[in-house]
Amino acid sequence: MKTNDSNMETGLADRIMDRLCLTPAGVAGIILLLIIPFVPPFNQQYMIRWLVAAALIGANAIAFDFTIGYINIVNFGYYAFLGFGAYTSAILAVNLGLSPWIGMIIGALFSGALGFLTGLLTLRLRGIFAACMTWFLGLAMMGLITKMVWLTRGPLGLRCPQLFETSSNIPYYYLILTMLIVIYITTKWVTRSDMGLAFKAIGQNMEAARTSGINPVFYRIVNFTLSCTIAGLLGGFYAHYYGVLTPELLHTTKTVEVLAVAYIGGRGSLWGGAFIAFPFIITMELIRSSLSELPGLNLIIYGLMLMLVMIYYPGGFAEFFNTYLAKPKNRFLRYFLSGIKES
Amino acid sequence: MAESKTGAVFVWMKSAGGITVTLSILIAIIAGIDSGPYIIVNTIVTGGMLALVAMGLALIFGVMNIPMFAHGEFFMIGSLAAYYIFTPLTEYLNTSPNSLLAAIAPLIAILGAMIVGAVAGLLCELLIFSQLRKRSSENWVMNSFLLTVGLSVVLINAHQLLFGTEFKGIVRYWGGRPLEIMGVFVSRDRILAFVLAMIVVGVFWLFMKYTNTGRAIRAVSQDQSGALMVGININGILLLTMALGCGLSAIAGAGLLFLYPSYPTVGLEPLYLAWFVVILVGLGNTAFALVGGFIVALIKALTVEYIGAGWDFVIPSLLITIVLVFKPSGLFGSEVRGVLDL
Repeated sequence: MKTNDSNMETGLADRIMDRLCLTPAGVAGIILLLIIPFVPPFNQQYMIRWLVAAALIGANAIAFDFTIGYINIVNFGYYAFLGFGAYTSAILAVNLGLSPWIGMIIGALFSGALGFLTGLLTLRLRGIFAACMTWFLGLAMMGLITKMVWLTRGPLGLRCPQLFETSSNIPYYYLILTMLIVIYITTKWVTRSDMGLAFKAIGQNMEAARTSGINPVFYRIVNFTLSCTIAGLLGGFYAHYYGVLTPELLHTTKTVEVLAVAYIGGRGSLWGGAFIAFPFIITMELIRSSLSELPGLNLIIYGLMLMLVMIYYPGGFAEFFNTYLAKPKNRFLRYFLSGIKES
Repeated sequence: MAESKTGAVFVWMKSAGGITVTLSILIAIIAGIDSGPYIIVNTIVTGGMLALVAMGLALIFGVMNIPMFAHGEFFMIGSLAAYYIFTPLTEYLNTSPNSLLAAIAPLIAILGAMIVGAVAGLLCELLIFSQLRKRSSENWVMNSFLLTVGLSVVLINAHQLLFGTEFKGIVRYWGGRPLEIMGVFVSRDRILAFVLAMIVVGVFWLFMKYTNTGRAIRAVSQDQSGALMVGININGILLLTMALGCGLSAIAGAGLLFLYPSYPTVGLEPLYLAWFVVILVGLGNTAFALVGGFIVALIKALTVEYIGAGWDFVIPSLLITIVLVFKPSGLFGSEVRGVLDL
């Protein structure tokens, strides 16, 4: 009786984890991230700042991967959508005195609407046009923000109120971590549903998807809009965490950073980018701060890693994990790493 | 015969491309009357060099199916090479004047830049694109696009790391008194840069049209497997195309060194503008990239003149977006394979 009961227990835990799209290793990772700001080398404020930056990039990588890994569209103006959300939220807070929390939501909705319109125009074309058009859109918006000084203060930078009344970074860290997890679970849910199947079908073979009755434009637009909404939400966080916005935020190089992280993490896995962002961003920051006499070295490493991964190991870290690490001989370890019980 | 030719011209005038060209010429003339002919002169000079960059981009897309994002970096490599060739030459000339060398020194610099750019293109093809081609060909357009994105980041930051961020520019190539054209004073360097661009375009056109290698390149761009069947060495052609395209971009960078000093991100502006051109005329359409270069240069000149500096990315990119929405195959259409298949 007792053993039966405990079986029921683990069954429930498994089901909850399955619902949340997490493996035991994933849960352990989240717990690790929750306690890491109190572990000695990481409990300095500048380290927590790096952790926040890493979590932000990780969350962005999830949203970016959601488009590139599933419907095979490169949103090359990703940071334009993020910046649009950020500026919307900041302008509402500065000019109308709106609470940053509500501003973030409105910014997300605005970005989603912009993404919807862009998607409506571009996503009926083949992928490369969508990439070009989002890129041009980003350029145009960067120019507009630079020029509309009366509203955005242009290159001088727009100061905006912060979310919390403290100088500590810890509340921000927990907020962005929560956002990261919620974004992961939301996107994973969507990709597990029937809609996710349609996304994959479109990404793998457009013609086959079309012949089996999937309307590619509809699904692409849904996917793109969701990704842009997340971008806008994260933009709101960016604005109210760093407290200052410049048009440089919308620049393509920022998108390249997210793109590199998403690819190194593993395209189409969603969790890969979020995971790899932490070690990767912290290493990059270490390189940048310790080798400051060699500017740009970290970006060279970015570009080289992106190219090497694309050529030699297109699956990225997620594929490496799934092939070599996820299925060890030991049953307990296998359960821990992949969440699969039966042999 | 003559009648049918004029008839064909009329038919062409009624197509989207014809309307655009006619309108552009009209607008250029009106703007020239309205605010001075310098707009036309500016358009022609920048348009010539822009056309070079755009032609390289269109060639690489048409033949190799690579949407080149790192094309501006070859512009940067060209300007950097020209700077490091031309500066020692002028120093040498200052100590021992030599009128012949002074006249050909810029040409040496530009030629050297072309060679450096072409070699860089060769290396990129050998080290990057052929490696990817060997491993996977599915989703080629998107994957190669992302590869060029990585390449662009690496090249920009390698420049910053090795040569620093300061402007590496020259005051003039040939110098001398500016010439007066239509009441506007134009520096000799600009005129010679334009003449040079047109000579390069002409040579390129002759090469593509009349040599066997040029024919082979066009054959590969039309049908790769067909070209393979008639015994064309595809890999050699791809290498050559990459070298040619990058070399053209490097010539533009070197030729405009007196306007754009070399610094890490100098290539971004030509890159954007060249992409505008390529989208405007249709991806992979090499011949009309020349026309598109002038049209985009005109749009840019008009924006700066009537709306103000700083808007020169906003207005063209909005216009190009509109073109992309209504005519994704470009104003002049394009018959190159791979435009709409991913």
